[in-house]
Amino acid sequence: MGGIRNNVRDLRAAHEMTQQQLADRIDLTRQTVIAIEGDKYSPSLETAFRIANVFGVPLERVFQYQGERKKPRKG
Amino acid sequence: MSNIFDMEPPMSTLSYQEKSLYGTLAADLIVYIPYFVYVMHNPTTLSHIVGTIILLIVAQIILQSGIAIATRNRITDERDRQIAGLGYRNAYFALVGMILTGMGALWLHTVYGPLNPNHMGLHFLSVFLGMVVISEIVKILSQLIAYRRSI
Repeated sequence: MGGIRNNVRDLRAAHEMTQQQLADRIDLTRQTVIAIEGDKYSPSLETAFRIANVFGVPLERVFQYQGERKKPRKG
Repeated sequence: MSNIFDMEPPMSTLSYQEKSLYGTLAADLIVYIPYFVYVMHNPTTLSHIVGTIILLIVAQIILQSGIAIATRNRITDERDRQIAGLGYRNAYFALVGMILTGMGALWLHTVYGPLNPNHMGLHFLSVFLGMVVISEIVKILSQLIAYRRSI
């Protein structure tokens, strides 16, 4: 999804937390946590901050903007 | 039972919103398919239309109650709302497209032959009901596809 990547799955595993437990902490459905971990859904800014708060890390530790991929120039 | 390594959703773990959408789709198909098959071959009456709507309400109450009882976690989150918005947008385009097509058909009717005034009111009631039903189904299918593609 776009150029945003995240470490939610790694951070969740490090905190020994299930997807359902994380979902309950931030008022999301488990399916939304699955979509975020699969980089198929970018959460709102508020939800992103709430996820970072759960893991106790800065936002940029959880989400990274990779930028738009440029097409290679010809010639 | 989920664990810390679970990644992809099996079909058995649909969210409450997805289950509710499948229930609505089932109710729509169960009630409206027999109705429209009937009115294509027989003249409709007001009691048919009212009966169909009452039947739909009863089917929805039964199905949605069953889904609500069977689902422990019934929360709605930002992704559900985003997907619902996508569904409403697609339904709007479908409805506008059908209204424009209907206006064109009406113009053809008036140009090439007069409409029977005895059946016109109920005929258009069925046509408008059909437009609403198709828009509703477009909305539900858009949402279900979005959930499966995990937007």
